Amino acid sequence: MFRKSTLIVFLLLAALAIAACGGQPADAPPADAPPADAPPADEHVDEPGDHDAEAEPVTLRVLIHQHPPLVEYMETFNEQFEAAYPNVTVDMSVVNAADLPTVTQTRLTANDVDVIDMFGFANAAQPYMVDVVPPNWQTLIEAGLLMDLTGQPFLDNYYPEAIADAGSFNGKVYQINLGRVGYSGVFYNKDLFTEYGVEVPTTWSELVAACETFAAADIQCMTAGGADGWPIFVGAYGLIGSIYPDQAALVEGLWERTITWDSEKSIDMWQKMQIYAGDFLEPGASGLSHDAAPGRFASGAVAMLPMGTWNAAMIEDVDPDMNWGYFPFPGSENPADNQYMFGKYDMGWVVAENTPHPEEALAYLEMFSAPENYQAFIDAVEFIPTQPGITLDSNLGSELAPYLDNFRVGYEQYWVAPTGAGQWAVPWASFFQPFNEWDDPAALAAQAQADLEAGLQAVGK
Amino acid sequence: MNYLFGRGSARWLPVLFLVPGMFFYFLVSLGPSLATTYFSFTDVTGILGIPVNWVGLKNYEEFLVLGTSARDNFVAIRNTFRFSFYVTVIQFALGLLLALLLNQKIRGANLFRVLFFLPVILGVTIQGLMWELFLYPLGGPMQQILGLFGLQSELLGGLPRQALNWVIVAQIWANVGITMVIFLAGLQTIPEELLEAAKIDGAGRWQSFRNVTWPLLTPSVNTNLILNIIGSLQAWQLMLVLIGYRPGALVLGYVVFAEGFGQTNRGLQQGFRQGYAAAASVVLFLVVLAIGLTTQYLLQRREQRLLG
Repeated sequence: MFRKSTLIVFLLLAALAIAACGGQPADAPPADAPPADAPPADEHVDEPGDHDAEAEPVTLRVLIHQHPPLVEYMETFNEQFEAAYPNVTVDMSVVNAADLPTVTQTRLTANDVDVIDMFGFANAAQPYMVDVVPPNWQTLIEAGLLMDLTGQPFLDNYYPEAIADAGSFNGKVYQINLGRVGYSGVFYNKDLFTEYGVEVPTTWSELVAACETFAAADIQCMTAGGADGWPIFVGAYGLIGSIYPDQAALVEGLWERTITWDSEKSIDMWQKMQIYAGDFLEPGASGLSHDAAPGRFASGAVAMLPMGTWNAAMIEDVDPDMNWGYFPFPGSENPADNQYMFGKYDMGWVVAENTPHPEEALAYLEMFSAPENYQAFIDAVEFIPTQPGITLDSNLGSELAPYLDNFRVGYEQYWVAPTGAGQWAVPWASFFQPFNEWDDPAALAAQAQADLEAGLQAVGK
Repeated sequence: MNYLFGRGSARWLPVLFLVPGMFFYFLVSLGPSLATTYFSFTDVTGILGIPVNWVGLKNYEEFLVLGTSARDNFVAIRNTFRFSFYVTVIQFALGLLLALLLNQKIRGANLFRVLFFLPVILGVTIQGLMWELFLYPLGGPMQQILGLFGLQSELLGGLPRQALNWVIVAQIWANVGITMVIFLAGLQTIPEELLEAAKIDGAGRWQSFRNVTWPLLTPSVNTNLILNIIGSLQAWQLMLVLIGYRPGALVLGYVVFAEGFGQTNRGLQQGFRQGYAAAASVVLFLVVLAIGLTTQYLLQRREQRLLG
């Protein structure tokens, strides 16, 4: 009796477990299901003028990256959006910038997000690149996961070139880009410069002399958010830029072997990178995260912070009264070579193609793009605007103004390594000691070129 | 023959009981493993809507022989072996030592058992953050200790080998509690009479340990060795938290993650190479399998020799 009842109980439990796991077959709708072409039950289909509390409740899922001024602004904007659309609740997720591509792909694939902040939507794989993995955003478009925004009225608010350069692919628009940033400059503490009689350096020698002056006064010359790795590379961007001012041509030259990492010109760059990594950056910089470095600079402990302009708002958050400036990193002995500001189109909005709430998602972008809201966004994050009539009315705006005519898109926005290239085939200052093993610029230059050459040969170039 | 569940159709009841477990094993473990093996022969990106093409051995060829990226992969394999060797040896020895100490009737033994086991229950992120704070190079505790000797170091942000050494330390700290508990469980199964008999026969502490405790600990030794070896060969999470993508300091598990989710230094906004990452994970699996089976074989021979 016991054995039989055990068997019956077991079979019942097993049946329940299988039923729970199995669920409803995708191709077998229940008898009372709506027609296949009807919207899902929780979907709200917009009608003109129905943005009131009576409308069907909608949750708009927004994904952004961690950047304190951005997060702060978005929280305010979301409140405004919810006030304008009482039936909509914005569910905003914030992830580390490095995790954004992974989370974007996962949530897009799972149809779990509506509006996404996306980086690096700039340059697709170039025709001269052979057998490369295309950028993630390109793959997402080709997979049909991003909504075609072509023809949306809010696109007219932006510079056409910003839409074309950082939002379009194969003649269609998939992103509205929200601003440009420079990253080949150096934040400097004006009070410290004045106190020690240091002029803003316009050549490499002047920069070296400035650092020597501060070192003599027991003040650290520069810091960087080395714990995140990339800030050490970005901090030295001016070195690459002053030597190779046409960065698109640099990338093509590397692929076509008209430019090499072990040329005399490039070795000069590696030598300066070694000085930057070993002598300019303060000991212990590798422990600072990118988000902590502006605070370190604002504390007055270091004289300079070579980093992108997006750090301006973070510095002001820490010390609104700090007297700081921003100048292009002078990598060359010729001041004319150091006049460029290299940077990129930063974040932009994309919409999931499969969003169940397309009307609300587009309304979100439309409201964000309204000049008064976009101006508030620019004020918060201090991007170089991509809308005409919007101004960067800040200290950063004044500091950047002399260089905006010389703004150029940076190398890393174009670069895709050939498959098979080794890990040293990129110009990273962080390869040098104390952050990595290299202490001989010529040896690293040779290794970088050898790694690149191996990749080029592997793809048949 | 007697069956626990009787005769006839009831004989199959144990098998029936195994069905749900087997079902979930296939669903969440074996199934994905087989799928990974299949995907290692494709160019899958993990993005729905992108066609998945069969590429044969191309991913394996790239991983093992193509260009200089293959060289970097072998550096990662070498780092994996080095990491695994030090973690296994030190964690094993330290766990045994702690277990022997805390198996004695000393005051506060339970408190220390809890303290040494505590890191195990923390998540990897918490473990990593604690070590980041301890090793913070701008005035953290370790830097202050170094400062007493006039030294300065980037610690986790320094040379790849040095960074990896610190991850080894963190890995051991995080997991030594498990090793200790397994040894403690083994020590508590050793009959007190045997140790007393050895003592009466004139055996000293070392002789008692070598001739009584150590042979009888064989099942715990085997379990710990296998767990430590396999666990450390597969480890990469602490590296993600503590040192990130650092050329020269990668282990194989990290390569799988970095390639699969576009986290290498090959370009901005890289596409996800999950087919290639699957091939790398199959290589990792084969390495773990070869070392695991060899170790298992040697340990079983030793167990038979010692315990019969």
